[in-house]
Amino acid sequence: MNPLCTPRDHTFSRRSFLGGGLSWLASPVLAEAMKQKDKQVLFVWLDGGMSQLETWDPKPNTEFGGPFRSIKTSVPGVHFCELMPKLAKQMHKLCVVRSLCTKDNAHSSGVDRIQRGDPKNRGVPYPHFGAGVAKLLGPGSSGLPPYVWIKPGSGGFRAEDAGFLGPKYGSLAFGDGKPPENLLRHPDISADQDAARNELRQMLDQRFAKQREKRVVEANASVFDMAEKLMARADIFDTTKLPERDRDRYGRHDFGQHMLVARQMLEAGVRFVKVTSYGWDTHGDNFNAHATMVPKFDQAFSAMLEDLEASGLLKNTLVICLSEFGRTPRINGHVGRDHWPEAWSIAMAGHGVNHGLVIGETNARGTEVKSQAHDIGALFHTWYHALGIDSHHVEFDNAGQPLPIAHDDMLPIKEALA
Amino acid sequence: MNLEPKQIAEFKSEHQISAARFSSDGSVLATAGYEPVVRRWQFDGKTLTPLPSLAGFHGYSTAIAFQPKQPQLFCADSWGQLRCCEGEKTLWQHDTAHDGWLRQIAVSPDGSRIATCGKDQFVRVWESATGKKLAEHQASEDVYALTIGESIVFGDMRGRIESWDFDLKQKLRSFDGSALYKLDRIQDLGGLCVLLLIDGGKTLLAAGTTPQNGATPQSIPTILHFDCASGKLAKTFTHGTNKEGYIHDLVLHPTGCLMAVSAGTPGSGMLFLTNPADPEPFHVNTQMANCHALALHPEGKHFVVTSTNRDSNGNGKSLAKDGQYKTNSSPLHLFEC
Repeated sequence: MNPLCTPRDHTFSRRSFLGGGLSWLASPVLAEAMKQKDKQVLFVWLDGGMSQLETWDPKPNTEFGGPFRSIKTSVPGVHFCELMPKLAKQMHKLCVVRSLCTKDNAHSSGVDRIQRGDPKNRGVPYPHFGAGVAKLLGPGSSGLPPYVWIKPGSGGFRAEDAGFLGPKYGSLAFGDGKPPENLLRHPDISADQDAARNELRQMLDQRFAKQREKRVVEANASVFDMAEKLMARADIFDTTKLPERDRDRYGRHDFGQHMLVARQMLEAGVRFVKVTSYGWDTHGDNFNAHATMVPKFDQAFSAMLEDLEASGLLKNTLVICLSEFGRTPRINGHVGRDHWPEAWSIAMAGHGVNHGLVIGETNARGTEVKSQAHDIGALFHTWYHALGIDSHHVEFDNAGQPLPIAHDDMLPIKEALA
Repeated sequence: MNLEPKQIAEFKSEHQISAARFSSDGSVLATAGYEPVVRRWQFDGKTLTPLPSLAGFHGYSTAIAFQPKQPQLFCADSWGQLRCCEGEKTLWQHDTAHDGWLRQIAVSPDGSRIATCGKDQFVRVWESATGKKLAEHQASEDVYALTIGESIVFGDMRGRIESWDFDLKQKLRSFDGSALYKLDRIQDLGGLCVLLLIDGGKTLLAAGTTPQNGATPQSIPTILHFDCASGKLAKTFTHGTNKEGYIHDLVLHPTGCLMAVSAGTPGSGMLFLTNPADPEPFHVNTQMANCHALALHPEGKHFVVTSTNRDSNGNGKSLAKDGQYKTNSSPLHLFEC
């Protein structure tokens, strides 16, 4: 138990459990969730770069601190920006790292480097964290696709996310949290006809496989496997049957509803769920932008933490929230903050990480990391360790060439690990 | 005959300025900006000389307004403080006039009342002499702008604009400024920056921008003209490209022309003067980057525009010549008409 917990924290949890969680406690979904003990990951990606100063690392009333106040959190001495009142009440569940110092200040390369862990250059594209987890931990007992991505806009299969692991470990993106088109068997096709068609397909696949690379064939087969599993679990996309109150708690905006779909995916046992929110690249009107977006993030992310805790899933789910970088302390002429990899923050919760903890410190102006700085490679080590994978000994197999799963020269952040 | 302003001087400021106003006698310029300080400058017709600043604010100083016929200055900050000063002396102060970001202050034409609005969704009316709260109204969103004529007019993030009689606690009129709002992904883009009554209160102007995209907004400066009697939109004025962005300040010159400044993509922005009935401005100055405030001297012959240094943006750790992390500032440009 977190030594920093107070009786009040438990009152809050109980209240939220009784108020928000009971409606779905009796559902088959929960029963499934409670049974399922596989380690899982929720990876929340705020694309474009959320400002650390308007969220996790406020510097109120300082030169670059911006207009907002800070507020107390459930952990004494830790403050968040006033735009995150709900998460402030859940700080005791969080591990916030305020000492990120990464290398890339461009989106085009930064997104990739952060999501691939920025390892040493081996001349091959490294897998995204989700693909690495899918490879190392497999799909889990649910059999559902191991790496799914809920995002605004279009969906599809993204083989490139898997890097050298091969397309089989790519992400399956569900645009707007919706299932792939024509997922379900057409009503005019009987189960027998469908089975016969699959038999024919498999026969043709075997012929195809003789002339193709193994990983391509595997990827091809895995797509059909995924489709089959998803056909059986089309219910995980449907949030309409959830109580209205649940849908309100997450927020009726895109991000809220996508997080709700993500919750259903986690409950169904998907190994790695990534949720993306776009539009955080606030080079202009930064404060008004964060004033409208951060409360929506606060609402959905805190509802997710509440529900994962209430269902018991938080114990085996590693929750990570980050961007490709933070935002500059100085304010440009468009009232915006630009890209800032020098000193920024991420938040984690759940399986394998300590909670109620802030790691690292930036200086009073927010312009430098004052404590030991951490690059993304250290975070990859930390996350793999949190999932029970020894990142210094376990290796990827790149067609016979062993490659480290995280940056060779970096170490996990020990304080972060439970 | 149209004005042809010429810049006659430029003064340095080490800070970024978002609001500027002259006192009623024209001897003092006050500025607010991205610091918890209200700065004051002595104006002698040719130069601006720094006066002692007003400290004790928090976050950003956000709004300033002078009494129309007296020296009192009303100023506010982003943590909700509202203060009335005469010179350096505080006459009255509310530390939490609003819960958080107090966005604008407007003074009634007779100077007896002031109105304030804020992110807490409230519009409040105060007795200007004492600071006594006279009335309040809760809107449904963050209230971005307000002005006072015969009634109090305020507009919110979504461009919903209403005029109210606060004595009767009654809404008088609604104005549809939704053209100044857009939802982009999960960002509410509020484009309303200034409300201004002209033609003796017959016309309401809602100025700002027509938002096109979030995150890094690119949008065209816009002024909506409303007929106050009917509430109907009479005209939409736009000028510039989508780089020029937001009209951050708009004032009425005694000759009847409108003076506006805008800021958009770093490095761009403008000062323009236009007659309300005209489709195009008669004077445009794009020499200053990212202009945020325009203070018109009461005698109408001078005005000050605050801009931003041209290299105000940049990813990563830009260092100044002294090796320190770069900061931005707002030059003050003095114009003569």
